[in-house]
Amino acid sequence: MNFERLGQYKYRIPREGKMQVDAAFYASEKILDDLVAEDYASLRQLQNVATLPGIVEPALTMPDIHWGYGFPIGGVAAFDPREGGVVSPGGVGFDVNCGVRLLTSDIQRGELERRKDRLADALYEAVPSGMGRGRTDFRMSREELAEVLVEGPAPLVERGFGEMEDVGHIESGGKLSGADPEAVSARAYERGLPQLGTLGSGNHFLEVQYVDEVYDEEAAEAFGLREEWITVLIHSGSRGLGHQVCQEYVERFLEAAPRYGVELVDRQLAATPIESPEGEDYLRAMASAANFAFANRQLISHFTREAFASAGFEEHRLRLLYDLAHNNAKFEKHAGREVLVHRKGATRAFGPGEEDLPEEYRSVGQPVLVPGDMGRYSFVLAGTEGAMRETFGSSAHGAGRKMSRRKAKKVARDRDVVGELKEKGILVRAAGRATVDEEMSEAYKDAADVIEATHGAGIGRRVARLRPLIVVKG
Amino acid sequence: MLDHTADVGFELRAATLEDLFDEGRRALIMVAFERPPQDGEEERTIQLSAPDRETLLVRWLNELTYLIQDAGFVPAGTHILLEETGGAGLSLIASLTGAPILLEEYGWQGEIKSATFHGLDVSNDDEGWHAQVILDV
Repeated sequence: MNFERLGQYKYRIPREGKMQVDAAFYASEKILDDLVAEDYASLRQLQNVATLPGIVEPALTMPDIHWGYGFPIGGVAAFDPREGGVVSPGGVGFDVNCGVRLLTSDIQRGELERRKDRLADALYEAVPSGMGRGRTDFRMSREELAEVLVEGPAPLVERGFGEMEDVGHIESGGKLSGADPEAVSARAYERGLPQLGTLGSGNHFLEVQYVDEVYDEEAAEAFGLREEWITVLIHSGSRGLGHQVCQEYVERFLEAAPRYGVELVDRQLAATPIESPEGEDYLRAMASAANFAFANRQLISHFTREAFASAGFEEHRLRLLYDLAHNNAKFEKHAGREVLVHRKGATRAFGPGEEDLPEEYRSVGQPVLVPGDMGRYSFVLAGTEGAMRETFGSSAHGAGRKMSRRKAKKVARDRDVVGELKEKGILVRAAGRATVDEEMSEAYKDAADVIEATHGAGIGRRVARLRPLIVVKG
Repeated sequence: MLDHTADVGFELRAATLEDLFDEGRRALIMVAFERPPQDGEEERTIQLSAPDRETLLVRWLNELTYLIQDAGFVPAGTHILLEETGGAGLSLIASLTGAPILLEEYGWQGEIKSATFHGLDVSNDDEGWHAQVILDV
């Protein structure tokens, strides 16, 4: 793998072979060791992304880079529609708008510890996780779902499933424009209807945490984060509806790509011009799935609030700090031109002054939520001008796996991961043992390494660290 | 099974293309369950067609995933018929027998989002048919 170091945490892969542009990646020494250990599999995926037509230099990955399918996880790629730029459903991923939202509270850690068991049970009951546990307390007609696909969480808030302030604290107001329910298939509706307000499994979770360290007082103050105060982090996406949308459009794009002369070095990168009937249809369907995901996290938040109230915290308010996407494609203006930015396991991280940010965050930059693993910590960062200059306003989205799921289960086989976490003061409620074992701490890189590279490279500013107290898993 | 960092993968080998598709079903079930049912009373039929073998395999695995996760049916046995439909095109008719999903009893391992086309190649040589599949989980 041919690359050169541009700074302490930044590297460039010069254009070669079929690459249309240079690629760039961010890594600490430790992350670089991980890339060597995987024989640069994810950097080769980044090179593949750089072959797509109309890509704007550079093709990028964030410090939480790891091996994905098609795009590497942590991948960011912008395409210019006026230069034949393409859209790739595989570049968004099956879980369209998989993302996270963080709720803050004025509950003190000590107060929570006294009712921790009760709260853990209430949350597990209130937020269905795993499979086959749909909501029994919430029903929606097909017409109502169509409205959610267009409008996102707003209709749910109007029906009482949230606070009016919530919607303004969601990326893009919780509504990607251009959504069209007609671009979403009957099968996708069928899969999505019973799953709205459910967590799913795999790496999805709901975590009750406390703020254990603040690094940037000004930003923490703006975000409402104070040491020892309780937060709730929710990680879920567009469930079966999004998976179905991606499946259908990847197949359609595979058939269409040759007609537009799009050469594919990996079929999962199937792409068509943004300005083509296929590209436009996909963007309509993808926006619908993204709005479903925002609404899904909204409904989960509502039932989380109810669980807190039922566990004795009815006097306290859970305020939505921010909700953001990890997997999507959005039109944004960078360096004076409008481009379609694909983020596959990456976070939008707009810097201070950007219009799309809630007014109260505009002076410090967008909240960037970076979940770690369930045994250690997660981080809150702020978007930076550096990210606007270098990464199309993007930053890291998580710790990144370093151990396969199969290996993690093998390592955990003779251990009691739930018991070990309980010893550390972390209560786990899960639908089954398998997802807990495969999501064990050791399966992930240390999020602190990712944050070191992100903060060090100036593409995200460290604000606070959060430690888990309760984990609900699928 | 393949060691993929973020997701799950498997390699399939079989004497015939029909058997390769059934191996795909078995591998999918092994990803989804620790103790899957060996038989069942329920019956289902799947009919699919695709422009090539790879797309048909992805559609097959995704249809089975839908049956398991959304319809609550675990396919324990299959009889598969494949037919060429012109060019590289193929159609598939599968008769499935299986059982209703029982998460705890079958040792459910977690949701599968989709089969992917990443690194997917269905081909044959002197030893038979083979394929490698990565699932997004």
